[in-house]
Amino acid sequence: MKTLLIADDDKNLTILYEQELSDEGYRVEVVHDARQAIERVTTDPPDLLLLDIRMPGMDGIEALNQIIGRNNHVPVILNTAYSNYKDNFMTWPADAYVVKSSDLTELKNTIREVLERRASES
Amino acid sequence: MPEIDNVALLKKTLTMILSGGQGERLYPLTKDRAKPAVPFGGIYRIIDFTLSNCLNSNLRRIYLLTQYKSSSLDLHLHLGWSILNNELGEYIYTIPPQKRLSDHWYRGTADAIFQNIYTLEQERPDRVLILSGDHIYKMDYSQMLRFHCEQEAELTVACVEVPLQQATQLGVMDIDANNRIVGFQEKPQNPPPMPGNPSQALASMGVYVFNTDSLVRTLVADARRDTAHDFGKNIIPALVEKGRVFAYNFKNGNRNPGSVYWRDIGLIDTYWAANMDLVDDTPEFNLHDKSWPVRTYQESYPPAHLHQGNGSVTRAIVSGGSRVTDATLDQCVLSYDVTVEPGAHITESILMEGVVVGKNARLHRVIVDKDVVIPEGCTIGLDPEADRRRFTVAPNGVSIIPKGLPVEG
Repeated sequence: MKTLLIADDDKNLTILYEQELSDEGYRVEVVHDARQAIERVTTDPPDLLLLDIRMPGMDGIEALNQIIGRNNHVPVILNTAYSNYKDNFMTWPADAYVVKSSDLTELKNTIREVLERRASES
Repeated sequence: MPEIDNVALLKKTLTMILSGGQGERLYPLTKDRAKPAVPFGGIYRIIDFTLSNCLNSNLRRIYLLTQYKSSSLDLHLHLGWSILNNELGEYIYTIPPQKRLSDHWYRGTADAIFQNIYTLEQERPDRVLILSGDHIYKMDYSQMLRFHCEQEAELTVACVEVPLQQATQLGVMDIDANNRIVGFQEKPQNPPPMPGNPSQALASMGVYVFNTDSLVRTLVADARRDTAHDFGKNIIPALVEKGRVFAYNFKNGNRNPGSVYWRDIGLIDTYWAANMDLVDDTPEFNLHDKSWPVRTYQESYPPAHLHQGNGSVTRAIVSGGSRVTDATLDQCVLSYDVTVEPGAHITESILMEGVVVGKNARLHRVIVDKDVVIPEGCTIGLDPEADRRRFTVAPNGVSIIPKGLPVEG
């Protein structure tokens, strides 16, 4: 079973994600800030990290780059309510960028695609 | 052919100069300084040639990415290159490693740029010109930028024609009839010859023009893999596979009159030979061409003073503050404030700032770093075995006396 780590400060959203993504067959773990995400990825890397951008304290863009500096193999999907970070070069190291939506179809498809792509590369 | 905006061509290009190499193969000249800060040609530092090329090409948004032992380089840039006007959007800035991404130093040339993606995000240039801080040449980069835009290239790599056997030590490209690069190998065992000349190959000069988007995309993909994070080994081959990559022949942008001259100062032997190129009867590298001046920082010294009742000076560069009295110099480069006392005999040597050569000393093929005193009657360079016991001696027999080293007679 693949482990997904979700880093998002919106607790209601992470409850929804936990339910929906568990139903998809993933083991889902949640942290609510960027520093916890970095620590978790460094000590016990998940199969994929779903990373919010706007969070109190360190933002997801800085976290993304620190994570890649420590572990360049962990797949990361940026998941944010804003599309304007997409042009920011600092977000380009992410495997994918998905704008938040009440319909989780795109997110679920992207998680599957990224995991499949990584599996085929290794 | 696309229409090219001459102003945007230069203004929307950001220059990044890789200046962080350890320069181990140039040791002990790099014992206390970064390779680009190594003195060259009497009054210059190696970095002056690349920076002068930028200035003469009207490229004035320049970052130097530094790393090891950068204080001497920083000081030189502060003293000699604080000449651009920030209010006009012109600058030369140095960036030491920011460690935004991790705690490690730059792991390769590509990693150096990758770790500075933040700077590219802040600047948002259309193109990035990537240069090395340790090459001696005169090049009009604006010609290469124009070529890059005309070809609608994603990456353009400047190249020099070199003999095939020399190419095994360089990055070598294979091109088609339209100058498009169809293959690129770093240090190939069997380098492909260039079209129309089976004895020559096209070697990369480490001068690249990238469209910024293509650069960032390729760098981030490379950062996610375990590679050498090197432009020659990883980035260029990856883009050749997927994108529009072109070769720009340096002879089209060369600004050294009479000779297509480019030297990578990677080894003591090449450093010494390039200095000697300046003191030939007709120097292969021309420092006197006023249309392409080489700028540097010059401390205030009195004029050089030569008193030659006995002795002779032939083929020499003698810099300000130096005093040569009744000595013989042939094929020598003397930096500032060098003193050569009567009866000294110096050939094919480089003497850096503040060096004193005592009476009747004999030096042949010696690089004497700053502030070394060669005692009266001392001989260096005529007995290789004895020299190897005391100093570093390069493969072609050049001895190097490190900065400030006490030398016994």
